[in-house]
Amino acid sequence: MNGGIGSVLVIGGGISGIRSALDLAERGCKVALIEREPSLGGILRQLDNQFPSDHCGMCKMLPLVERDAGSQYCLRKGFFHENIEIMLSTELAALEGDPGKFIATLRHKPTMVDAERCVGCGECVRVCPVEAPDAYNAGLSKRKAIHLPTPHNTPNRYIVDAAACIRCGACEKTCPTGAIDLRLEARRAFRILVVDDELIVRDSTKEWLVDAGFRADAAESGMEAIERLSAETYNCMLLDVKMPGMDGVEVLKRAKEMHPDMPVVMMTAYATVETAVEAMKIGAFDYLMKPFDPDAMVRMVEQIYTSFERSGESKLNVSAVIVSAGFEPCTPTEEMGAYGYGAMPDVMTGIEFERWIGGAGPNAGRLIRPSDGGEVRKIAWIQCVGSRNLRFDADYCSSVCCMYSIKEAALAKELSGGKVDAAIFYMDMRTFGKGFQGYRDKVEQTDGVRFIRSRVHSVELDGERNAPRMFYTDAEGALHEEVFDMVVLATGQKPPRGASALAEAVGVELNPSGFCKTVDFSLSRTTREGVFVAGSFSGLRDISESVIQAGSASLGASLLVHSKGGGIAEAGKEAPGRRDISREPPSLAIALCRCSGSAGEEARLTAIAQAVEKGGWADHVFRVERLCEPDGWRLLAEQIKAGKNNRVLVGACLPYAYSGKIAELAATAELPANLAAAVDIRGAGGCEDGEDGSGIAAAAIAALAMGGAKLRNADPSPHPPTEIIQKALVVGGGVAGMSAALAIADHGYETALVERTGELGGNLRHIHHTIDGLRPKELMEGLIARVESHPNIKLFMNARVAHSGGRVGAFMTSVEKGDGSGETVEHGATVVATGGQEAKTRSYCYGESDAILTQREFENRLQSGAITPGSLESVVMIQCVDSRETGRNYCSRICCASALKNALLLKEANPNIDVYVLYRDIMAYGALEAHYTRARKAGVLFVQYSLDSKPEVSASDGRPSVVVHDPILGRTLALRPDLLVLSVGVVPDEHGGAARAFGVETDENGFYQEAEYKWRPVDSLNGGVFLCGMGHSPRSIGESIATAEAAAQRALGVIGKKHISSGMGVSEVRQTFCSLCERCVIACPYGARWIDEEEERIVVDELACQGCGACTAACPNSAAVLRGAGDHGMLSMIDAALDAVY
Amino acid sequence: MNDFEPVIIAFVCNWCTYTAADLAGTSRLMQPSNVRMIRMMCTGMVDPKYVIKALLEGADAVLISGCHPGDCHYINGNLKARRRVKLLKAILKRFAVDEHRIKMTWIGASEGIDFAAIVTGMVKEVKALGPNMLRRTMVI
Repeated sequence: MNGGIGSVLVIGGGISGIRSALDLAERGCKVALIEREPSLGGILRQLDNQFPSDHCGMCKMLPLVERDAGSQYCLRKGFFHENIEIMLSTELAALEGDPGKFIATLRHKPTMVDAERCVGCGECVRVCPVEAPDAYNAGLSKRKAIHLPTPHNTPNRYIVDAAACIRCGACEKTCPTGAIDLRLEARRAFRILVVDDELIVRDSTKEWLVDAGFRADAAESGMEAIERLSAETYNCMLLDVKMPGMDGVEVLKRAKEMHPDMPVVMMTAYATVETAVEAMKIGAFDYLMKPFDPDAMVRMVEQIYTSFERSGESKLNVSAVIVSAGFEPCTPTEEMGAYGYGAMPDVMTGIEFERWIGGAGPNAGRLIRPSDGGEVRKIAWIQCVGSRNLRFDADYCSSVCCMYSIKEAALAKELSGGKVDAAIFYMDMRTFGKGFQGYRDKVEQTDGVRFIRSRVHSVELDGERNAPRMFYTDAEGALHEEVFDMVVLATGQKPPRGASALAEAVGVELNPSGFCKTVDFSLSRTTREGVFVAGSFSGLRDISESVIQAGSASLGASLLVHSKGGGIAEAGKEAPGRRDISREPPSLAIALCRCSGSAGEEARLTAIAQAVEKGGWADHVFRVERLCEPDGWRLLAEQIKAGKNNRVLVGACLPYAYSGKIAELAATAELPANLAAAVDIRGAGGCEDGEDGSGIAAAAIAALAMGGAKLRNADPSPHPPTEIIQKALVVGGGVAGMSAALAIADHGYETALVERTGELGGNLRHIHHTIDGLRPKELMEGLIARVESHPNIKLFMNARVAHSGGRVGAFMTSVEKGDGSGETVEHGATVVATGGQEAKTRSYCYGESDAILTQREFENRLQSGAITPGSLESVVMIQCVDSRETGRNYCSRICCASALKNALLLKEANPNIDVYVLYRDIMAYGALEAHYTRARKAGVLFVQYSLDSKPEVSASDGRPSVVVHDPILGRTLALRPDLLVLSVGVVPDEHGGAARAFGVETDENGFYQEAEYKWRPVDSLNGGVFLCGMGHSPRSIGESIATAEAAAQRALGVIGKKHISSGMGVSEVRQTFCSLCERCVIACPYGARWIDEEEERIVVDELACQGCGACTAACPNSAAVLRGAGDHGMLSMIDAALDAVY
Repeated sequence: MNDFEPVIIAFVCNWCTYTAADLAGTSRLMQPSNVRMIRMMCTGMVDPKYVIKALLEGADAVLISGCHPGDCHYINGNLKARRRVKLLKAILKRFAVDEHRIKMTWIGASEGIDFAAIVTGMVKEVKALGPNMLRRTMVI
């Protein structure tokens, strides 16, 4: 990639990184996506199912329009896009320059296997003698030292686990393409000096290093070490701290003077650890505590060697940077309560459990007991291991563990046919996301998973039953014990390995928990301008929130690119020239890949070629050497280009590997992309074969015949793209609506903003400060000033959307203005942000006394001075009023934070006030946990109640009286507070028909129904209509802005181009066959088909159509056809498949 | 009938089952070469006439395999397919087509092992059923 203006660097190839990269690429921006691991996907590689649907749907992130620009297959396999350059095993070393013109230095890790040459044949695995734990399966299964990092990725190149490899060289010799180079010579040239006065340590360390392929020398004293260092060059030194004469620290000082760049590892006994730590301050690389594990020592040296060997550095000019470095699951240690982890095989972490039952896991999707392979009857989940733990310095909630444990429990139930007894031991069940409460209720009530509020004391091995025995105290403080077959630790997360080094390289600050710090109200802006953050690197978040934040980050980046005059969208590259061959008869060329050149293969290829020629349906059959290698592919491209054929079929192995190249090949030959394809002629690498190979040959001939039939029938006619109205309409003038409108307008597109009331600002008017001490009022005034003066924003105040028609790219909306007049607005995309408001209540005697307030009323009066904390003696707050129960069964997410904020405010102003917070589960997710801790420290009293023992309130004499059962005291409390504050939660605003006018449906609680909770959180099911703000779901200010920015980014994806094409596979109507039965209209899941009553015909919205073909199967007349996959092609494919048999 | 090698036409969805089939391949799981795979974008576009055509042309069985319910890339195409297959089985029974010759499964992208197992099992089943005689007996 050339980089330069208009390009963005995305660091990290997990969910957020991929989402950011795709967002920008869809807009025409060039993206470099770097990932330090050898495969994409982050944590999602390992998760087969995700909450709250228990399904995967990652592929739904792929572009909906311009689909042919990238891959169209399972995203967990990886992906490609013409605007994205993916660099694996690559890290950022430094970032210099200013926003708009950064220079990034990238470091490419050597992998010992040349990715260009490796064809994934797997011969190396067969000969490799070393077995090591497979990180993909969380160490629960074994793989060879040379292995596939992720079994399903594509292109999937083998890599060598340098720490496990014994350098026998067997793989090197056997590799048919010479792709493996273990670089044994280079390794032997890496010289290490081992300095220790103890002979046994000295000699064994030296021996281990030599076994690992390095060259090691030993010195028995400090003096000898210095002599050796001055005489020869060493690349690394292992140095004992305590030696007679010159000690380690002294040697270190002298060595650093002589060779400042040489890494030194201190070797220390327990007593001198502090000295070793001191040594690190004066330049030691790290320390090892004696007696050390030889493997750990070799790994550390390996690490030093890798960074030493790393020669591949490259520079890249980019306008902006998005950091989505993710997180790392924490490993249970003694101090956080290991609960037998490591000692008992039946105790595992959440991620290990995912792999344990995973389809590609060690048990192929079965649930068995790790210790003996027996039946699993009882499983326990222990929450908050490594999170919400002050001793462990983790004063945050990992936000996702409650939900993943519920999911795992549900999966265990499903796998066992409901037989497993699943129990979740928790402190607070944090179901704060959209749909989470309903999910928990379903799992609890329908699946029968037990939820036990408790503190787990310990897990010990029950000798008799050889199973974990758990000791815990319940909410009342009673001690219990129970034996389980398996115990799963819901381990929290911590900042990714190397977070501080990355932060330093990128130049951003971290927060006290070690995650990336964000500024002001933004979830994606960091402390360095031009650098944005997405995903869990800024604190834990689930998929949905990561996707939203990625949208926000990519918007920030694209704004920067735009403001620097970068080449987004309009400067997108010219479409490659395509020959118009619609009038040419089909002429098919078949290229057969020759791989090993063995006699058997030659015979098989000859048989295949003869059969193809005999069939007479190919015009040109030829063989090419090793298409998987660059040379082979180049030769093929030349031959195709020189030939006159207008269809190309490649017969090779692993056809996925060619999906990206095939598109390029078509472009080289100036053919439409759907006229080239690849099929497997090597039996998917694992076919059972007759002795003569006839099985594979027959399958290969059939595959070629079928592929040929499909290509011959493919429709080559060019299709004009759809014209787009490059304007947007935003409904709602609250913080989300204003943010979205500004984001779009700042990109230079006209935006209409429709606000129902006479003033902008929405809920921001009622919030005086946030729990973090930020001032929403200043934010609001800033936004209003910008909106009102923005040349690209047209404001409609006191206005409403009366009606909207049209489709994505071309909407026509009538806006009814305050004075009763109307105006029609044309726009290509719509953002709906109609907001939410505090719910109304009649519970808990609200309305019967002036001393009973809602949380918002309380806050307003506190701020206006109508209530003075000094005059109060006691305040009671009740959480979850009318929420999380039948009627309004969701968590409003912001009430716990508001209650904590106001409780803290009271305590700070007057420490003598008794503040009681009556709660069900404190939803202090993520960093809010620290405020919860702060509130408890400040003396706020938290009393837990459950739905069947709700507080009882009376207000007979004007002063509220609250009776509640305190489970910890085991007694009923009778409180007579000065004030009773009710956290009533959030309801969606009356949408005033606006959302409905755009066809946005609502969920059972009245919030917008998004296309897909996790993967398309701000899309509606209606193309071109995007959702954000509190009408979407209850959110904090920052979170609302993030949805607005994400929605704006999606809207820009539509209106950012003058013309958009959908994709090759778009549905069409053959009007002469159509009987207007409208079955296709019902079948279409995207609303892309409707009947034009006047013209009496079915119309297809090309941009909304995703090419699923549901209409084609529903149509009784074959009038609905998918371009390029018509009946004729399909039927001739079936013929071709069977012709070879008969 | 020991040397009878059935031919199975498999209509597989591009997103899940085809991925699983590929995973089975890259994982080098042994699987019979009797299957002719036709990749469709979605099982929801498997027109019943494709299945009938395959059986009439002599396929010994037809496999239709898509994403698990809820996983469908196109929201619910797999459920549409399930409905069609159920009806189709009922109808074809009247034409003396054994319902075991049509099979519908859900195979997720990571379930390469399942794919290999299902295909292997199906070949075994169809071997037991014997060849499909429709092509020879049916007169249209």
